[in-house]
Amino acid sequence: MISTVSDVFHSSLRKLKLLPVGFVVAAGVLSSFWTAAVAATAPQRVQIEGEIIDTWCYVTEIMGDAQGTAHHLCAVWCAIGGIPVSILGDDGQVYMVLRVESEDTNVANPTIVNIQTHKVVVDGDLYERDGVKYLFVDQVADDKGVVNLNHEDYGIIPFGE
Amino acid sequence: MKALSKLLVTSVFSLSVALGTAHAANEWGIEHEEAKELDGKVVDLACELSGNCPSNCGDGKRQLGLLLPDGTLYPVVKGGTNFAGGTDDLIGQCGKMVHVDGLLIKDPLMTIYFVQRVRSEETGEWSKANQWGKNWKAANPGKKLGRWFREDPRVAKIVEKSGKLGIPGLVYVEE
Repeated sequence: MISTVSDVFHSSLRKLKLLPVGFVVAAGVLSSFWTAAVAATAPQRVQIEGEIIDTWCYVTEIMGDAQGTAHHLCAVWCAIGGIPVSILGDDGQVYMVLRVESEDTNVANPTIVNIQTHKVVVDGDLYERDGVKYLFVDQVADDKGVVNLNHEDYGIIPFGE
Repeated sequence: MKALSKLLVTSVFSLSVALGTAHAANEWGIEHEEAKELDGKVVDLACELSGNCPSNCGDGKRQLGLLLPDGTLYPVVKGGTNFAGGTDDLIGQCGKMVHVDGLLIKDPLMTIYFVQRVRSEETGEWSKANQWGKNWKAANPGKKLGRWFREDPRVAKIVEKSGKLGIPGLVYVEE
């Protein structure tokens, strides 16, 4: 197909007319990306009170009610195994812990492993994204130790020992 | 006729392989689970959320997630070894796209992913997501991987200090 000067002129004119539309679309797309980015990176300051738990066993319920002394040993195994640790808040919500105080790691971190099953009060930043509550703890305000003595009802889960 | 039967056998075999790989994740009967293959970029969760980003996704010391092309972020909380996570299976692909197979569990409390297999981008071959176990075995020669949680020295140290119930001196005696 051969284009004349007139064709090229009119084609360019049409493109110019479409420019504002393009700008609006691009701005909309950028705006939505920016909004998503801000939503993903804007934390909320929170204070959470609850028990340190193993995320996998509690959420999936494969060990039943995976908390307290009954599940303490399994929670230690999973934390050493690198499964994320969470806090089961008194509000019933589960908060995945990605940092505790000055610690920069969160896989089998000794500080986190050593407070498994403890009842704690923590201050930190909460990020919510795609069905997960992520918690960056900057202060453990109170550590009451292990207080949920449910082994009296359930024994040791799993394996009974 | 012989050619036709050969074609039939080949077709059935191909179909069975295709079906076998289509939903190869082992289902656990967990509420809200879905066998799901995912394509996503391996990311350090803490980095993705807070902008605190050490090199190489924290070298295996940070929890990892999959960032899907549509921007969805899933934490990978479990790998193929009993009582162990999936970080060791994905850390070699930090910042890269991977194709994985496993269980996506969209529990109202939390959405999590259990990686069971990882497909090599180079060969297309699937491998089991059991790198944690391999690493543990290499670090603990002579010990049984099937009982790693009973034989791990870090676990033993914690149990020695605070007991199996988490409270020093408290012992459970089955009645």
